[in-house]
Amino acid sequence: MKLLALHLTNVRKFTGKRASITGIGSGITVVSEANEFGKSTFFDAIHALFFEKYSSSGKPVKSLQPYAGGGVEVAADIEADGGTFRVEKRFLSRKSATITRLPDGVVIAQDDEAERWIATLLGGAGDGPAGLLWVRQGLVGLEPTGTKEKSQLMETRRDLLSSVAGEIDAMTGGRRMDRVMRRAAESFSEIATKTGRKSGPWKAAADEAEALGAELATVTMQVQALEGALQKRKLAEAALARLDNIDAKTRRDNALAAARLALEKAQAHVGAVTSARQKRDLAALKAGAAQSDLDAFLAALQSLETTKTQAQSSLAALHDAKLDADQLYALLEAARIKHEQTTTALMTARADLDAARRQTAARKAKAEAAQLEQNIKKAETVLGERDVARAVVKASFATPDWLRRVEAAAADVAQQNATLQAQATTLSMAYDGALRITLNGAPVPENQPVQLDGVTHLDVPNVGRMTVFAQGIGEVAKQKLITAHEKLNELLSTGGVATVEQARTLAAARTEAQTRVNLAQAVLDTLTPNGIETLRSAKADADLAASEAHDNALPQLADLEAQLVQAELVEDTARQAFNHAKTPHDAARELYIKTQAAAQTAQLAFEQATAHANTLAGPEIERADSRAVRLRAQASAQEAHKQAEIELQELVSAAPDLDTARAEMKRAEDAVTAVQAQRAQLCEQLAALSSEIRTLAGNGIEERRDDLAGQLEAVQARETRFARQAAALTRLQIALEAERDAARDTYFGPVQEELKPLLSILHRDAALHFDSESLLPTGLVRDQGQETLDDLSGGTQEQIAILTRLAFARLFARQGRHMPIVLDDALVYSDDDRIIKMFTALTRVAQDQQIIVFSCRQLAFQDLGGARPQVTVEPV
Amino acid sequence: MFKFIHSSDLHLGKPFGRFPEDVRVRLRQARADTLPRLAALAKDHDASHILLAGDTFDQTTPAPTVVRQALNVMRAADHVTWILMPGNHDHANATELWRQVEQDCPPNVALQLTPEPYALTPQATLLPAPPTERHPGRDLTDWFDTAETPSGTLRIGLAHGSVTDFDSSEEGASSIIAPDRARRARLNYLALGDWHGQLQIGPETWYSGAPECDGFKHAQPPCALLVEITAPNAPAKVTPLPTAALQWHRVQLELTDDLTGEDACIAAHLATLPALPERASTLFDLVVTGRAGPLDRVALEQSVAQIAPDFLWHRADLSGLGFVHDTADLDAIDRQGALRAAAEVLSHEAADESLSPDTRAAAQAALSHLFSFALEA
Repeated sequence: MKLLALHLTNVRKFTGKRASITGIGSGITVVSEANEFGKSTFFDAIHALFFEKYSSSGKPVKSLQPYAGGGVEVAADIEADGGTFRVEKRFLSRKSATITRLPDGVVIAQDDEAERWIATLLGGAGDGPAGLLWVRQGLVGLEPTGTKEKSQLMETRRDLLSSVAGEIDAMTGGRRMDRVMRRAAESFSEIATKTGRKSGPWKAAADEAEALGAELATVTMQVQALEGALQKRKLAEAALARLDNIDAKTRRDNALAAARLALEKAQAHVGAVTSARQKRDLAALKAGAAQSDLDAFLAALQSLETTKTQAQSSLAALHDAKLDADQLYALLEAARIKHEQTTTALMTARADLDAARRQTAARKAKAEAAQLEQNIKKAETVLGERDVARAVVKASFATPDWLRRVEAAAADVAQQNATLQAQATTLSMAYDGALRITLNGAPVPENQPVQLDGVTHLDVPNVGRMTVFAQGIGEVAKQKLITAHEKLNELLSTGGVATVEQARTLAAARTEAQTRVNLAQAVLDTLTPNGIETLRSAKADADLAASEAHDNALPQLADLEAQLVQAELVEDTARQAFNHAKTPHDAARELYIKTQAAAQTAQLAFEQATAHANTLAGPEIERADSRAVRLRAQASAQEAHKQAEIELQELVSAAPDLDTARAEMKRAEDAVTAVQAQRAQLCEQLAALSSEIRTLAGNGIEERRDDLAGQLEAVQARETRFARQAAALTRLQIALEAERDAARDTYFGPVQEELKPLLSILHRDAALHFDSESLLPTGLVRDQGQETLDDLSGGTQEQIAILTRLAFARLFARQGRHMPIVLDDALVYSDDDRIIKMFTALTRVAQDQQIIVFSCRQLAFQDLGGARPQVTVEPV
Repeated sequence: MFKFIHSSDLHLGKPFGRFPEDVRVRLRQARADTLPRLAALAKDHDASHILLAGDTFDQTTPAPTVVRQALNVMRAADHVTWILMPGNHDHANATELWRQVEQDCPPNVALQLTPEPYALTPQATLLPAPPTERHPGRDLTDWFDTAETPSGTLRIGLAHGSVTDFDSSEEGASSIIAPDRARRARLNYLALGDWHGQLQIGPETWYSGAPECDGFKHAQPPCALLVEITAPNAPAKVTPLPTAALQWHRVQLELTDDLTGEDACIAAHLATLPALPERASTLFDLVVTGRAGPLDRVALEQSVAQIAPDFLWHRADLSGLGFVHDTADLDAIDRQGALRAAAEVLSHEAADESLSPDTRAAAQAALSHLFSFALEA
C-alpha cells in the first residue's frame, strides 16, 4: 500500500476546514512545515483512519474532534493491489466508512464491509503486524525548562523505544500478551500446580470428594447393615409368630399326648411279654434240670464201667515197663565203668607231657640269664666312661665357636697392631762399637726398630742430646688396638686362659672329650638300645623262669606225645559206648515212670467213679427204679416248657412296636423342645437385632447417606468444573505460547538480518544486543565493549529505534507487503553527522518503501531529499 | 359438612446434601415448619382433620429427632386430628420408624398402616392404601371398590403413588393407581400423594403436592388443599392454600440473534429475576441457552455474578449457551499478532466438528477465557 494523498475535514484546528496533503511520492516524502501547522493532527488522523472503527467514540477518535464539535472526516487516497482507492471515514456524527475506487468513483465497500476491506489491506488476514510502522516518534523538539517538563522528557527518553516495543508487541502480542499469559497462569495456578496437579480449590474439592466418598461408602455399608438387620428382624418376628400360632401349638400338644398314651400301652404289653418269657424260661430250666439229672445218672454208670477197665489195663502195662528198664540199666552201668577207666589213663598221659615241657623251658631261661648278666656288666662300665667324658665337655667353655671368636679377636689385634706400626716413626740403630744411644734413658737396641712417639730425646754419649720430633701415632688407631686387646682378653678370660695358645689347647681337649662321649653312646646303643633297666628286667624274668630247672634226666617229648594221642583215642571210644547205652536206658526209664503214673491215675479214676455212682445212683440194687423215676420226670418237664413257649409266642405276636412308640414320643417331645429352643433363640436374636437397629437408626444414617450423596454430587460437579477450567486454561496457555513462539521465529531473526546493514551505516562493526524475552534492543556492542541502551545518548537511542523500525519495514517489503513508514518529528536529538547517515539509511530503505516524514526542522531535513508534497487548507 | 386439609410429601429429614451448609439448614427448617403451618391453616379454616398422603418422612429410618419433633408439633396442634399414612419413602414395612411413631404417638394422630376402613367421624370413613414397600408393584387401592362403609357416610380415599396413563412418579416407578378409582369406588374424594406438584386428576381426585418444594421440577407454588364436602352426594369443594416459605425458580433464558449487544443481554437477564424482597428466600436456577458473542457472554457472566448474592441460592448454567463470534469479536482480543493468531486457532478448533466434543469444549472455554483476560488487559 502507498499513500497518495491525505484529506482532513473538521479535524482539531482545522475546524470547518479541509486540510490536504497531495503529491506524496513513492520513496521519501518530507512534510516540512512550521510548528503548530498540524503535522501531528495529520499523523493522528491517519492513525485513526486505519486503526479505529468508524463507529468508535473512543479517546483516539474524540481527540480529533475540534472544540466546536461536529463530525470528523478523514480520507486517504491510496494505491493498493494495482488500483487506486479512497479510504474515507466519518467519525462521531453520521458515522460511516467508505471505500471508493478512484478511477470510476464506484463505492466498493461501506461501513462494516469497508472496515473489513481495510483490515485485509493492513493485516493480510491477520498473519502479521500492520500498524507497526505507524508510530509516532514521541519526541518534542524543544528542550523543557520546568521540572515537570524535564521529568516528562526523561520519561520520554526512557520510553524512546516504546514505539519499537509497540512494533514487537504487535507481532508477539507484547505486553498485552504478557498480561494475558500472566492472567492465564494466575488463573491456572489458583487451581493447579505448574505441573498440572490439582491444588487450591480444585484439590480441596478432590480431597473433599474422596473423603465424602469414603464416608459415604462407610455410611452406605451401615445403611445396608441396618436394612439387613431390619429384614432379619422381620423374618425373625414372622418366624416367632408362626411358632406362637395357637393352632400349631395345639397340634403339637395333641401329638405329644397321643404319643405318650401309645407308649404307655406298648410298655404295659412289654410287661406281659416279659412275664410270659420268665415263665417260659422257668419251665425250660426245669426241663433242663430233669434232663441233666437223667443224663448224670446214666453218665455215672457209664463212667464206672469205663474206669474199671482202664485201671486193669494200666497195671499190666506197668509190669512190662519195669522189666525193660531194669535190663537196660545193667548195660549202662557196664559202659560207665569202662569209660571211667579210659579217662584216668588219659589224664596221666597228659600230665607227663606237660611236666617234660616245663622242664625244657626252665633250662633255656637259665642260659639266657647268664648272657644277660654279662651284658649288664659291660654296659655299666661304658656308661661310667661316657659320663666322665660328658662332664669334661660340660665343664669346658672352649667350644669351637668360642675358639673361632678368639682367633678372630687375635687376628683383629694383629691387624690393629700392624696398622699402628705402619703409622709410627721408627728408629733402627746399627752400632760399630759398645757405645749405645739411649732413648729416654734406656739404650736403643741394635737392629730393632723402636717406635718414636712425639718428642723423643735421644742421648748420644759424648755427643749430646738429640731431640727428635716424631710424628705422633693417631689416637684412633691406638684406641682401636686397645679395644681389640680388651675384646681378646675378655674372650680368653671367659675360657679361663691367658693366651691364644692356651685357648687352642683347651679347645682341643674339649673336642677329644666329646669324641669319647659319642663312642661310649654308640656302644650303649648296641648293648642296651632300650636302656640298662630293660636288660635288668629281662634278666629278672629269665631268673624266675629258670628257677624250676633241675638236673634229672628227661624222657623224650615225642614219646610222651604219642602216648597221649593213644590215650585220647581209647577214652573217646569208651565215652561213645557209654553214650550209646544211656539213650535207650533213659527212654525205658521214662516209660516206666509214665506207665506207673498212668496206672495210679486209672486206679484213682476207678475209685472216684465208684464213689460217684454210689452217691448218685445209690446202691447198685436200687439203680433200675431210680432210672425209671428220672425218665418220667424228664418227660413231664419237657411238656411244661413247650406249653409256656406257646403262650409266650402268642403274646409276642400281638405286641405293639415299642421302639416305634418311643420314636413317636420322642418326636413329639423333640418338636415341643425344638419350638421352645427356637423361640428362645428368636427372642434372643430379636433383642440383639432391635439393639443394633436402634443404634444404627438412632444415628439417622439414611439421612446421613442421602446428605453425603448430595454433598458428593455437588463436590464432584465442582471438581468437574475445575477440571474443565484447568483444561481450558492449559489449552489457552499452550495456544498463546505456541503463537508467540511462532511470531518470534517468524519475525525476530529476519528483522535482525535486515538491521545489520542499516546499523553499519551509523556504526561500523557495531551490533545490537537484544533481550530474549522482550525482543527489544538493550545494548549496543561496539569497539570491544557493550553499552546499555540507557547509557547511550538520546540521539543514539532514537537512531536505534528508527533503524529497528526500518528493519521491520524492509522485512515486510521483502514479503511483498509495502507499508508506509510515517515519522513524526523524528531525529530531534541527532547531530548533523548522524542525521546525514540516518538520511542515507532512510534513502536505502526508501528504494522499495514509502516513507513520510513530518518535521518542523525544514533546514535540517533539506539534505534528506525526497518529494515535497503540496499542503493546502481550505474552508469547507 | 366435613372439612379437612389434604397434604403430602413433607419429606421431613430430607438432607439436601448437594446444597451448601447454610442453605441446607434453611431447607430442612422450612420443611419442619410445614407442620405448624398446616395446623394453622386447619385452624384458620375450621378443618377437623389433616390427611397426610404419604412420604411424611424422607427415610425409612429417620433420625429420632426428626420423628419426635414432628410428633411433638402434631401433639401441640390438638385442635386437629392428623391422619398419618406411609408413602413409598416411609412405607409401612419401615418397621423401626412406625414402631417409634406408635410408641410416641399422640392421641390426636391416627396411623394408617393397614388397608382397613377407618372412621374419621361418624359421617366420614377413610379408606387408606398405605404402600407396603417402596415399590409395591400393584394398585393398592383395588380394595376401595368393594370396601363396605356405613350407609350414608362419606367415603374418603387416601393413597400414595402415581396414576396410570399419568407421568411417572417422583421416584420413577411404574404408574399403577387407576385414574378413575374415585368413581369406581364411589369415593367422595381421593387424596393422593407422591407427585410433588399440585394436580387434579379428576373431579374428586387430587394430588395436593408437597407443601415445600424440594426441586425445580414443579412450576406452580406449593399448596395444601382445603377440602369441603357437604353431603355424600355433593361434590367436594377444593381450595388450594399456599404453604411455601421458600421459592424455587428455574428460569430459561434464551439469547437469540435479535438480542444483540451487551446491554440487551443484561436486560434480558435482569428481566428473568424475581423482585428483590423475594430473592433472599429464593433458590434460583438460571439456564441459559441460545447463542452469544464473547462480549455478550462476558457481560452476562458479570451480570450474573452481580446479582447472585441476592439469592438464598443461585446457579447459572451457561453450558447450553452456544458460542458465536466474528472478526470484530476477535478484534477485541487483538487485531493482529500472536494474541490474534491464538484466538483464531482456538476459534477454529472450537468449530471443528472433526474434533472430539471435549477438545472443542476446551477450546471454546479457552477462547472465552482469552476474551476475558484480553479485555482485562
